[in-house]
Amino acid sequence: MDETVAEYIRRTVLKIPRDEIKMMLQKWGFLSEAQLETINFHQIKDNISQDVVQLCEENSADIKQAAVLDIIYNNIYPNKRIWSVYQMNKTGEETEFFDLTDFKKKFKRLLRSALKNVTITFKEYEDNAIWIRIAWGTPYTKPNQYKTSYVVYHSQTSYVFISASVLKSNLPLLCQALVVASNYQDIREMELRSHSLNSLKDIVFKRYSQNFQTYSPRPLTEKNVAPETVDLRIIQENRNEKERIQRLNREVFGDGPQPKIEFAQYKLETMFKSDPKMDVLDKKEPFRCLVKFSSPHLLESLKSLAPAGMADAPLSPLLTCIPQKARNYFKIREKKGVLPGSFVSP
Amino acid sequence: GGLAPVFPLPGEWRGKMDEEKAYSPSGVFAYLELLEARAYEAAVKQEEMEQQEEKLARLKARVQELRLQRDKLRAKVDLQQQEQPVKEGAVSNPAPPSARAVLEWKIKSLKAMLQIFYLTGISGKLSKRGVCFCISTAYEGTYLDSYHLDLLTKPEVQIYRHSVPIFIPLQQIAKKYLQTDIKRFLSVLSDHLNAYVGRRYQADQLQEHFSGLLKGTLQRNSLCNLLVFNYNVSSESKTFPFNVRLLYGDPCCSLPTEVVVSCTPDAPASLAETAAAHSDLFRRVALHKAFRSFSSA
Repeated sequence: MDETVAEYIRRTVLKIPRDEIKMMLQKWGFLSEAQLETINFHQIKDNISQDVVQLCEENSADIKQAAVLDIIYNNIYPNKRIWSVYQMNKTGEETEFFDLTDFKKKFKRLLRSALKNVTITFKEYEDNAIWIRIAWGTPYTKPNQYKTSYVVYHSQTSYVFISASVLKSNLPLLCQALVVASNYQDIREMELRSHSLNSLKDIVFKRYSQNFQTYSPRPLTEKNVAPETVDLRIIQENRNEKERIQRLNREVFGDGPQPKIEFAQYKLETMFKSDPKMDVLDKKEPFRCLVKFSSPHLLESLKSLAPAGMADAPLSPLLTCIPQKARNYFKIREKKGVLPGSFVSP
Repeated sequence: GGLAPVFPLPGEWRGKMDEEKAYSPSGVFAYLELLEARAYEAAVKQEEMEQQEEKLARLKARVQELRLQRDKLRAKVDLQQQEQPVKEGAVSNPAPPSARAVLEWKIKSLKAMLQIFYLTGISGKLSKRGVCFCISTAYEGTYLDSYHLDLLTKPEVQIYRHSVPIFIPLQQIAKKYLQTDIKRFLSVLSDHLNAYVGRRYQADQLQEHFSGLLKGTLQRNSLCNLLVFNYNVSSESKTFPFNVRLLYGDPCCSLPTEVVVSCTPDAPASLAETAAAHSDLFRRVALHKAFRSFSSA
């Protein structure tokens, strides 16, 4: 077994939390159950990884299998990387018959024709997600297994999720390969980025809870009408206001959990509006300013702003439109028309 | 009314406190918490009692009300019977139904109507700015997922938001029918969705119940309109793998339009007939039912 492969497997195993190592090796399926039984998973990780490498040596692992283990790790811990969303377009209207074998063949062919030294690995998952791992090399060097890009593509959708590596120069080639392999015409990057891959999927696939008013044949459960504080000596002064805020919040955000994004960025290029008599600025130039909101869970914190009394309800549509517009990077220019949506440029 | 103080009066305070202090060495805050908890419990009990009394009074008043109404109606009936002597064969006019009864009947029939719509698979509800439709799907008696569409009606009919899966060509269907013929739009969309869930159901059933017959993985896609897999067929006490490629050309249909069943070159000639028979079966019968017939044959 190649030295580099052994080292790569060792380092991948070291990344996995100790309690999860056995489960991931089982998912990998490269080592037999009998072989896994021989490893003591209670020793320190260094020793566990050495044992694993030893067994892989016995089975003559090569880079292909090691790459699959890496995909499994990234599939279980996708939040360690930043994911961007790309959208593909095509003009044809015929139904697509996505053939996985065809897709893989075309993708590999295009990448390999441009760059010989590249490791490409595919893994399909139950939810129709295809994970692609690409390790990039140069025309003169072997692929660097530590500089990898990951692509997640759900067949017959126009969205691709890419976690690019440091080597941004390979991105155009990767995009082209995706477009050709999936029979689309072009691809563009959306202004949507986050660590949470599932939340990005929720936003573009519209899987987050949206409050739909429909008639449900099942009787709605009676909301508990009894007041929360039974003690008559405590009176809610602002009960109406609280209820109004709750109602508005529920209308805007829905009832379920929000998709998880960590930041929203607004680039302002608007004119400074001052008293014309004061004439603060000599030149009438747009005021450039960048506002960035960041939070471990931005949308949940926005949802709790009004009930906590820190902001007026309803919140600014610039904040609440994030899941619906599927973007968290905005450029705001001067309002030209009367329509409120016109000033947010793509 | 005010609540009677629950904790001891100031005179008794210190004595009580010393007593408590002897038993709870955790100090003043703990004691205050204890008092607060007691006060709260007592307030809850009192509130419950008051609510019970209020409820009782309300129900008593209601009983009075109903008795009064009954008496009035009785008087009315008596009056009518006195004024018009009962004719032979004619039934005395029943009292006209009260407004409340009419309303209840209307609500009941509306609910029944909405239930019927729900069972047909497409139901709607007027919303503030338009209509919200719910398309419920089913396949051969099994209810599957429901999908929602929130439509705006002004300035023109447009989709505000929806929960239709991303791989269903919603925009294409909307472009064709939404403005001109909304019934057709809903019908076409419902066909697409029902066919999709039907195909998905068949593929899921195959993987769940016939994984023993399958060899390797079932290759599918999001729309479940192209399935490729291998399965074992036994002949003369030997098993041979068959490869199947099912193409569902019609997005509104849950049966394949193209079926290719092939066997390995070393398989006996008799299997070619079986392959053709299977191919025909897949074209006509649902996938999991076809497999059920294999395993029982």
